[in-house]
Amino acid sequence: MFLAWKEIKHAKGKFSLIISVVVLVGYLVYFLTSLAYGLASSYTNGVYAWNADNIVLTSDSNDNIMMSVMTDEQYDDVDATEKARLGLFPAVISDPSAAVVDDTKEEIYAFGIDNGSFIAPSLALNDNEVVADSSLKELGYDLGTVIRVAGTDIDWTIIGFEESRTYQTAPILYMNIATWMDYRFNRATIPLDLFSAVVTQGETLTANTDLKIYDIQDFVSNLPGYSAQVLTFSIMIGFLIFIIAFVLGIFIFVLTIQKTSMFGVMKAQGISNAYIGGSVVMQTLIITGIGVFGGLLLTLVSGYFLAGIVPFAINPLFYAVITAAFFVFSAFGGLFSVRAVLKIDPRIAIG
Amino acid sequence: MSTLIEMKNITKDFLQGDEVVHALKETNFIAEEGDLIAIIGPSGSGKSTFLTIIGGLQTPTTGEVLVGGKPFSRLNAKERSKVRFEKVGFILQSANLIPFLKITDQMYLYNRIQRTKPNEERLVGLFEKLGITKLKNKYPSQLSGGERQRVAIAKAIYHNPLVILADEPTAALDTTRAFEVIKLLAKETKAEKKATIMVTHDERLTEYCDKVYQIVDGVMTRKK
Repeated sequence: MFLAWKEIKHAKGKFSLIISVVVLVGYLVYFLTSLAYGLASSYTNGVYAWNADNIVLTSDSNDNIMMSVMTDEQYDDVDATEKARLGLFPAVISDPSAAVVDDTKEEIYAFGIDNGSFIAPSLALNDNEVVADSSLKELGYDLGTVIRVAGTDIDWTIIGFEESRTYQTAPILYMNIATWMDYRFNRATIPLDLFSAVVTQGETLTANTDLKIYDIQDFVSNLPGYSAQVLTFSIMIGFLIFIIAFVLGIFIFVLTIQKTSMFGVMKAQGISNAYIGGSVVMQTLIITGIGVFGGLLLTLVSGYFLAGIVPFAINPLFYAVITAAFFVFSAFGGLFSVRAVLKIDPRIAIG
Repeated sequence: MSTLIEMKNITKDFLQGDEVVHALKETNFIAEEGDLIAIIGPSGSGKSTFLTIIGGLQTPTTGEVLVGGKPFSRLNAKERSKVRFEKVGFILQSANLIPFLKITDQMYLYNRIQRTKPNEERLVGLFEKLGITKLKNKYPSQLSGGERQRVAIAKAIYHNPLVILADEPTAALDTTRAFEVIKLLAKETKAEKKATIMVTHDERLTEYCDKVYQIVDGVMTRKK
């Protein structure tokens, strides 16, 4: 620690260049992580808000909730601690009272729910009333705004907002099942209730072979594009961590080679390989530490300013895992140099 | 007077291509408390081999080195390194000092590694005697050649070793400075009750030495 730190302090110019590379890559990694998490969350917020264990769809729907149509009979066939009917269908909405109506056009997901069920928002919903994701406020929607559903003559009235309720990156509108059915199927022509799925808590069973039970996690993974996107980001982040560990390893290796004669003298003086090698690894970790901290700081600052513009979300657990990975990999990178130290022959100090 | 370091029947052979080179022929050598010993000889004569064997940087082909009466050359590399750290001080041509440590920290590095308390009293005393007190907050690059070697002497002595090994300590100095450094080294060897073994090609320095050996083609003979 002593030698490692003294050297960094003494050769500030050289080390600040190396550290700045780590800061920039660290920044990139943390920022990408926040974006990836933000984006993934905007796919799944609405689903995780249920706190559900399973979701039941029809077998014919082939994992696609949009293609699933269920009846009350099928609802009765599902056995679980808690269960709730859910209708789910996309829609395009606008605010006809706005100055520029086109600016208020937005794709949303209509979630039909039963008042009082565990997936319902806190406000009770009468017919044609909706509770909306708060992101719609940024488009000018407010309490009492009457929404026009594109391609229909249906109007909905906003009676409340909830934070972070999105599905497949689009805002959710909650409404009662009757209102949802009016939009989806035109209730007047259909005598019975139809909806998309049954969301459950606790152990879920059904004897009906027309139904299929999905774990919520599997359901999320099967959302179109979700897995591909998460995987892409993960690979990018993983590679970046690996690359910076490698680059830092090379930097430290070059510095070590430059100090061969000094290390030779130290070894002649009887300073152990463990101490010298330890200093080298410690120096790597100090550089990583400062770099990672700087990158994290930049990320938080950027996140503060970009929060509304990009889907930026902070996840302390991911940050912790990535930070740990940075340290572990860069320590490995430092080991190249330890090997170089071991190979230095103290006889070079003499003659 | 007690014997601090001893070479018993040392030889060193090594292979150069297919040819066996006898770098050091059978050598017996002792250094006692207060001795400043010069080893002189032309380059390639075996001086460096002598110094690396007595300093435990390599092992002899036959024979044994004892430090403070205890086996030294027989130990493994790690144990030898530990003995060197505690019992031997080195003064080298140059590059003795760590470029990014202030002069005081050069000394205290020993304590850092040993996890012992810095001996400030000793450091102040040594710096005073060697006339380097005013340099203590400087970096090696800010010192002249002579100053650097005086600091190197302080560094070699600070941790109270038995033996000081010096490899051409005056090579980078002009005559006046070289004499100054050797006088200091002679004085400290006596005052601190160490034995100093100095390899040099500069025969003028031998007038300050108690004993002088010459090595020619691996054979060591006493000159003084």
